[in-house]
Amino acid sequence: MKQKKTLAGLLSVVTVIIVLISCSKSNSTGTVTPPGTGDSALANIGTNIIIPSFQTFSSAMVALDASVTTFTATPNATTLSAAQAAFKTAYLAWETCSEYGFGPAADQSLITATINIFPTDSVLIKSNISSGSYTIDGIANLKAQGFSGIDFLLFGADNATTLGRYTTDASAVNAKKYLSAITASIKTKAAAVATAWSASGGNYINQFTTAIGVSSGSSLSLLMNAFVQDYDVVMKSYKLGIPIGKYGTTVLPLAPSKVEAYYSGMSVQLMIQQVKALQNMYLGGTGYGFDDKVIASKVTKNSVPLNDVITAEFNTLIAKLTALPDPLSAQINNNLTAVNDVYTEATKLVVLLKVDLSSALAIKISFQDDDGD
Amino acid sequence: MTAIKLKTYIYKPIHIAPLAFFRIAFGAVLFISSIRFIVHGWIKDFYITPRFHFPFYGFEWITALSPAGMYALYTCMALGAFMICVGLYYRIATVLFLCCFAYAEMIDKTYYLNHYYLVTVMVLLMSLVPANRYFSVDVLCNPSLKRTHVPAWTINTFKWQLAIIYIYAAISKMNTDWLINAMPLKIWLPANQFIPVIGKWLALPATAIIFSWCGMLFDLSVVFLLVNRRTRPFGYFFVIIFHLLTALLFQIGMFPYIMLAATTIFFSDSFHMRMLKAISSVIPSLRKIDIQQNYVPSPMFRKPGFIFLLVYFVFQLLIPIRFLLYPGKLLWTEEGYRFSWRVMLMEKGGTTFFYVIEPATGRRIEINNRDFLTGYQERMMETQPDMMLQYAKILKAEYEKMGIQHAAVQAESYVTLNGTGSRLFIDSTVNLAEQKETLFGHKKWILPYQP
Repeated sequence: MKQKKTLAGLLSVVTVIIVLISCSKSNSTGTVTPPGTGDSALANIGTNIIIPSFQTFSSAMVALDASVTTFTATPNATTLSAAQAAFKTAYLAWETCSEYGFGPAADQSLITATINIFPTDSVLIKSNISSGSYTIDGIANLKAQGFSGIDFLLFGADNATTLGRYTTDASAVNAKKYLSAITASIKTKAAAVATAWSASGGNYINQFTTAIGVSSGSSLSLLMNAFVQDYDVVMKSYKLGIPIGKYGTTVLPLAPSKVEAYYSGMSVQLMIQQVKALQNMYLGGTGYGFDDKVIASKVTKNSVPLNDVITAEFNTLIAKLTALPDPLSAQINNNLTAVNDVYTEATKLVVLLKVDLSSALAIKISFQDDDGD
Repeated sequence: MTAIKLKTYIYKPIHIAPLAFFRIAFGAVLFISSIRFIVHGWIKDFYITPRFHFPFYGFEWITALSPAGMYALYTCMALGAFMICVGLYYRIATVLFLCCFAYAEMIDKTYYLNHYYLVTVMVLLMSLVPANRYFSVDVLCNPSLKRTHVPAWTINTFKWQLAIIYIYAAISKMNTDWLINAMPLKIWLPANQFIPVIGKWLALPATAIIFSWCGMLFDLSVVFLLVNRRTRPFGYFFVIIFHLLTALLFQIGMFPYIMLAATTIFFSDSFHMRMLKAISSVIPSLRKIDIQQNYVPSPMFRKPGFIFLLVYFVFQLLIPIRFLLYPGKLLWTEEGYRFSWRVMLMEKGGTTFFYVIEPATGRRIEINNRDFLTGYQERMMETQPDMMLQYAKILKAEYEKMGIQHAAVQAESYVTLNGTGSRLFIDSTVNLAEQKETLFGHKKWILPYQP
């Protein structure tokens, strides 16, 4: 009799605990962790790296939009070159944000797939301008806007010809409108994302720092998935692989016009910026980052601490990129070996981040239940 | 003497209550599980969005149904589970659920989980026993169906099955990786170090080794603790602790709850009577006085049923040890890994660069796997050789459509197992499109594991 009571008691305890677990899990993103118990890597990366990156980018977009306004009001050589300079600054700032394409950035579509599709469709841009009818952010227009769209609009020809398109050309008014529409759109999205992250705005930072753990939906998992995607697909495949003919079915192997920032010719600079941003995030700046987690895991690769292997590969890749002069399209035509060399190093880092890093920290690129097999 | 004992163990009439309660509890978990799958939107993510699937060897004819068909399949599954739970058209319900569930699981091995296999075998066994002859809608509608006693085997079958599961799970943990290196728990536990209260203990190296040993000893002993009347409360207490801890720490979905429901079968009939009484206090129409009525299986099915169960259990014992047919380290090659109750044994990750080579020009095209597979399929493919082979054939066929005839497919695959660092996994010079899948053949192109 006593045993039956014990068993019945146990069974009711189970029910209560199951309810508790399922409740705590479903709220895991909303609950507030008591101070001092959170994941300090999340707090550090969120507060000191991600938020400042989006803020810098948002300011750079405000500046770019302002110089485009000045340029379209009084198009001349000075205002054009000011707009071009502001564009370069904003584009470089974007490279420090592209790895955070989750949460607010995904909500606002401030991601590579919407604001930095390259190569741009210059034919569509021209027809949009001459017809004057388009939806700038529409799905059909994705290849005719964003940074690569501005790249074409500001650098698509020599400066005299470019100026002509905004002054003497029959569609000059439409061209000005089109350029302004693109910068205004990105500016608005960038401001919205920066606000959504900030503690005084949407306070996504709170959600980010409290969604601890490594299961899907946790901040580490979101972050890891986002930056691996950004590095593996955007950087390795789109920025390097496709232009040097690694993908696709065409028999012609090289496609140098498919590089990022083809017209302004700053492709390598942008890649360096992206890899450095990734490296900085990995290191957590000067604070607690992924590197500290990897060191704590004591995982090694070929008897070398994994963190040493990863940091060394970051440095090697940045060194190889730095040795490669812009424009990348010319390098692909004249110096392919060096570009292939960069591609090989970039691939090594994919393996380290996607396999070794994620495995050492048990962060899965995972969407469903798992039973570890 | 032992023969008589064995006969008692199989044929002795015992009270049906454990079987009826098991039907209700397990049916309820299956119902929740099916609804959960639908609500999470997984039908779309797993069966509608992917362009390609990875069927099991010999079952390539099982393909994903149309979107409407997939939703219908899961609706029938949930309906079947509900009917099992309440005991309505029970035999039909078990067959309906089993067919729907098994079909869905066979479409794509990406989604293979041990607990899906467990559900399949448990419902298969449930379809053989008269779990609806007591405390069910079937009895309510037709009281002549009611039986109070069933042959012991109808209940013991489930205990044997659970014993096989737990003991094989224990055996699979008896290796250096698990017991000496405390892998993969040494990686997985610190990943949870920021959860409240217990988090700070999880990062300690000693915790991983203690958890590893306790986990193995739990799997090894729990069935014996549950069988024995005196130790049963302790046994179930450990069941609760073990499974709820895994639910808290790992993303393993319904598995802990399925085991919590299934292991109640070990409780005594008087315990189950009390549970059923508790339920019937809410539904008074179920409260009836019992007169002993024994269930006697129709003589027509007695012999075939006995032979079927005998063969079934022989297979259950053999399948988990089929890995002995293959050379090399099991966790690395995964040859003979599935259907063997190996749960939570490894932290394995990989990335694979596939190349399609056009023989005419020698041109080598690198593949962006996401153009063909979903992220989940890609992740599973990247550590499992049989899926790489299937993917290579998909690529060959797709590139043939794009005009590259007789394409060769090579893969440069890097895999890390239990934190040992990524290294080449398969021979990257082999043309995978030419390799054949066999039932028990070893894949020679998997590189041997170098510790």
